[in-house]
This record gives sequence, structure tokens and C-alpha cells, in this order.
Amino acid sequence: MLLTAVYYDGRQARPHPVTLCVEGDKLLLQGRDIVRREDLNRLKIPPPLGSTPRLILFADGGRCEVADRQGFAEMLQDAGNSAVAGLENSWWYALAALLLTLSLLAAAYLVGLPYAARVMADRVPVYLLERMDTQFFASLDQTLLIPSALPAQRRQSIQDGLQRLALPPGGGRPERIEFRGSPTLGANAFALPGGSVLVLDDLVNLASSDEEILAVLAHEMGHIREKHALRHMLQASVVGLVMAWYIGDVSSLLAVAPTVLLETRYSRDFERRADAFAAELLGANGIPVSRLADILQKLEDAHQTAATKQPIESVEVMDYLSSHPNTEERIKRLRGL
Amino acid sequence: MTELQSRQLQFSGSGGEYFRIWIVNVCLSIVTLGVYSAWAKVRRNQYFYRHTTLAGAGFDYHGEPMAILKGRIVAFLLFACYTLVGKFDQVAGLAILLVIVSVMPWLLMRSLRFRMHNTSYRGLRFAFHGSTGAAYFNFLLLPVLSALTLGLLWPLAQQRMARYTRENSTYGNEFFKFFATSGAYYRIYLMTIFIGVLVFAGLMASVMLLGSKELIPVEAGQLVAMSVLVAAIGTYLALFLLAYPYVAARLQNLVWNTTQLGPHGFHAQVRAREMLGIMFGNVLLIVLTLGLYKPFADIRLARYRIEHVALLPRGSIDEFVAGLQTNTSAAGEELAEMFDFDIAL
Repeated sequence: MLLTAVYYDGRQARPHPVTLCVEGDKLLLQGRDIVRREDLNRLKIPPPLGSTPRLILFADGGRCEVADRQGFAEMLQDAGNSAVAGLENSWWYALAALLLTLSLLAAAYLVGLPYAARVMADRVPVYLLERMDTQFFASLDQTLLIPSALPAQRRQSIQDGLQRLALPPGGGRPERIEFRGSPTLGANAFALPGGSVLVLDDLVNLASSDEEILAVLAHEMGHIREKHALRHMLQASVVGLVMAWYIGDVSSLLAVAPTVLLETRYSRDFERRADAFAAELLGANGIPVSRLADILQKLEDAHQTAATKQPIESVEVMDYLSSHPNTEERIKRLRGL
Repeated sequence: MTELQSRQLQFSGSGGEYFRIWIVNVCLSIVTLGVYSAWAKVRRNQYFYRHTTLAGAGFDYHGEPMAILKGRIVAFLLFACYTLVGKFDQVAGLAILLVIVSVMPWLLMRSLRFRMHNTSYRGLRFAFHGSTGAAYFNFLLLPVLSALTLGLLWPLAQQRMARYTRENSTYGNEFFKFFATSGAYYRIYLMTIFIGVLVFAGLMASVMLLGSKELIPVEAGQLVAMSVLVAAIGTYLALFLLAYPYVAARLQNLVWNTTQLGPHGFHAQVRAREMLGIMFGNVLLIVLTLGLYKPFADIRLARYRIEHVALLPRGSIDEFVAGLQTNTSAAGEELAEMFDFDIAL
């Protein structure tokens, strides 16, 4: 059989209309002023690609384009056929690939990434972590944080209370506790990636007893013990990177929203585990677990009144909710313990 | 020489067909932990290039997956280094960024070489011959200078970058020529600013008018402040949404209309309004389909951009002959893509 094709010799842009046929293990190419006879196994035949023309590439840069893909496949049977080209041609394989992709992405997000973050978190050198916390304070002391207005005595009694807490083996005692005031962040406490705990004045003022403050600190120690802040940071970086890469060429702004949604799930898990640890720790030290529930309730109320009083500053409430989601649910669970 | 009829670039790719190729490639890339992505990139480029035809012949892409894979590994390591180290230590992160920025012009030059060298039409390769020194001048010094002058030099810098990329490119042994003056670039930006001023004035006048007739509730003393505020926000939104597609479309037209290849000219007539419609529609549908519309969006945008460029042949286009071939690495192109530092050709 004969196949019509267009041949380019690789030295000039002139198209040569030619016919192709196979003679034994050779390809015969004939045109008006050109004849080529080449060993089939010396030719490069790229796999088919959608509805693009089939190609024959010669070692010297010559090139044949064949529009008739059907005829090409009949003449040069499985030349250049690849498994991938077969997969790309069928809607069923496309569907299978879609399902496999979605399940792999889900598995990577639910299992792979948290595991990798845990492994990496254990391998980050201590001096780097300390430097991170130092940098954190250095940058926030100029913007969101102001020096603590609490009397030194009050701070010392909280520190002492913390020292007296007996910890189960496995660490979790904060590297240091820093007290700060913050008009914008309100009543809150944070466990930082390097193992420091930041306690804000409003939280101390809101608590009706040291036990409630210790309950919050026990919760933060749960975060420190399992390096939640560091792991969260690592996971969020990867999720952010993947999102930016995927949506990037559309708009980097759009990548932020799904990233925030995806990260929230991680923080919820971490909150649950920190609560469980706090409950265990408080129980072991003879402090009622309900103290944590009490202070959580107070925090929730405080933030809600803050929200209704100053609707413009509801940002802080959003911030609080995103780092401590489902407070109601957590309070219920703690009361149940 | 006689002027022949213009030859439009054609694009014959289809969304459904590309979707299958795309999803199979994404799936294989994930299964192989990213290794296959280099092969996927070659498939994707070949799909777009081979579906782009001019005067009955298609373009082709010849990038070697192994070269791309090596480039990707280097780029990935550098990028991961930068993002992770930046989290722990801002100074070290900044140092890495500085290193990357200082090699970026060289990488961009290599990237242009790789891309042009691996593009062919009618069996002849394109090529890029720009020098490293000129790359540093055009891709680093000029942008830095334009930043120092608060953007006043930016149109000039853009014109020089376009000239560098065009005039150092060849098809076969024929060089591209580029005639756009920096004045033409300044005109596009001045026009954008002029439109911005018109929008601002229009919005301010209408708020003043509505306010003075008490159609909108504003206290008398605050009418001017209110109208300035509304006009400022409106102008900002209008420029934010419209300026980018407008400038992009005008620039694409300018660059093609002032480019020549040997005796042959080009003509582009991309319309900002249509470009904007396509981009908006694409973003909306990608979000609504949780990302699955992406391959269709790529095809749609490619079709619009490609089919609005035409070749104006003066004489036969069969007479091009091959130039010298050089080998290139892919590291530049991959890194440039990673850092979103792509230059549109």
C-alpha cells in the first residue's frame, strides 16, 4: 500500500509531497525529485499524540508528516506505539486516571503529608527552632505585641505553677514562657514552633484562677510535645506550594482561599490532640479537666462580645476561630471527660 | 517582491482530546513522584506545537525528557531550599534569593536557548544566540534601574528585553528583526494611565452629580471626600481587572506587528476585551469544576492567542535553509518557570 506524506529534508523549508511504502524491513520514500530507502529500525517514529499528524524522523534531520493516521497505523503496525499513547486515547482510561489521581491526592494529603511533616519536624536542628522563635518575637514586638503590663509577681506565680506540674515522660515543657500584651490579638496563648509559649495579658486577666491558666498552658504543652506548630508550618508550606503551582498561572490570589480551607483541617486535629494531652496532664496533677472547658468558654464569650462591640475588628475573631476551630465542640468533649 | 496573502496561524487542538492527555500525564506524574512530569511536559508541548499549523505545516517540540528532568531536579531543590530555609532563617533565605536573582539573567538566556533550539517548523530549527552580557544588561540592570526610577524606565526596559529576545532569534539561518521603538511602549502605558484618569474623573463627576441632587445620601460637607473615595476605589478596580489584559493584548500586537523574519512580516490583532472574557471565563470555570476545567482553559486561551497571529509572506517561505545546531540544557527553563519568571514570546 501507498501512503501520501509531506517530507522535509531538514536543510530547507521546502515541502516535498511524497508517497511512502514498506518493502520488507525498509521504508521507501518517493517524490518528484527525491527517493530515499531507509532501514525501518534506523528511523525514529514518535508515538501517536491525539489527532496530531504521525511523524517519521530520519537520523540526518529529515522528517515526514503523515496526516492519515489510520493508514500510518496499518502500514507501520506498532511502530512507535507506546502504552502512554494508548492510555491517552480512551475516555475509560482517562476516567480511571482521574479517579486514581483524586485518591492519590487525598491519600497524600491525609496520610503522606502529615507523616512527612512529622519526620521532618523531628529532624530540624534545635538551634534553628530557637532562632525561629527569636525572629517571631523580633518581628511581632514591633507590630502586634506590646510589653506585658502584668506585675512581675503574677508572672512568677504562673511560672512556678508550671514548674510544679509533673509531666508524663516524652517532654513538652516549654522552652520559655513569654508574657506580652496585645490590643489586637485579645485573650489568647500560642505555642510557637521552637517550643516557646506566648501568653497574652488579656488571657491572664480573664482567668478566675491560676488553675485555668495552667489548663491553657497544659493545652499549649500538648502542642509543644508533638511539635504541632512546626508540623503545621511544614504542611501549610507544602499545601501552599502545590496550590500556587497549580492555580499559579491563573491567579496567585485565588490559591490562598483553598489553602486556608485545607489547612484548617490540620489545626482541628492538632487542637483535639492537645486537648487530650491537657486533660491527661491536668488529671495527673489533680487539677479538674473542667478548668480548661471553663476558660475556653470564657474565651469564646470574650471574643464574641468583642465581635459584636467592634464589628470592624472581627478579623481577630476570624483569626481565633481559624486557629482554634469548633470551640463549642471542644468544650463539650472536655466536659464529657 | 510581491506581497502574497497573509497566512493565519491555525490551532486544531481540542479540549476533550487534551483533557485525556492531561489527566493521564498528571496521574503518571503523581504515581512516579514527579519523575514522569518531565515526559508529561514534552507530551504537552508536542500536543500544542503539533496542533499549531502555518501554511499547512505544523510546528514541533524536541525537548529531551531527561534534560528537562535534570533541570526540574535542580530547580526543585533550589526552590525548596529557598522556601524552607526562608521559614527558619530569613537572612539565609534572602541570601539564597539573592543568589537566584543574580543567576536569573543567565538562566533566562539558557532557557530561551533551550526553548528555541527545541522548536522546529518544516524540519528546520529555531535558535537563540543572545550573549550572557546582554542578558544581564536587559534582564537585570534595566529592571533594577526601572525600579529605582519608580517604573519610569519600565516601558524602555520592556522594549529592550523584547528586542534582545527577538533580534537574537533565528529560524533556520535567518534572523528575526524587531522595529518597535520604546516610544511605542510608552504610548501603550500612557494610554492606560489616560484611561485610568478618565475613569477617575467620570466616577468623581457622577458621584458629585448624584450627591448634589440628593439621589444618594451624603452629608453636604463630605461630598468631595466621598466622590474621591468612590472614584479611587473604582479606578483601582478597573485598572486591576482591565489594565493587565489591555496592556498584554496591546503589547502582543505591538511586538508581532514590528517583527520581521527575513523579508516576511507578521500581523497580530489580539483584542483586550476578548482576552479578558476568555481569562475571566477560564478562572470562573476552573474554580467551579475544582480544577478539572484547566486543560480546556489552556486550549481555549492557546487557540485565541495563536489564531490571532498571521504571517505576511513576501515571497516564498520555502527558501529558508538550516543554520548551525547547538546543544543546550534545560536547567534555565525549568528554574525560570518555577519562579514564575517566564517571558512570553
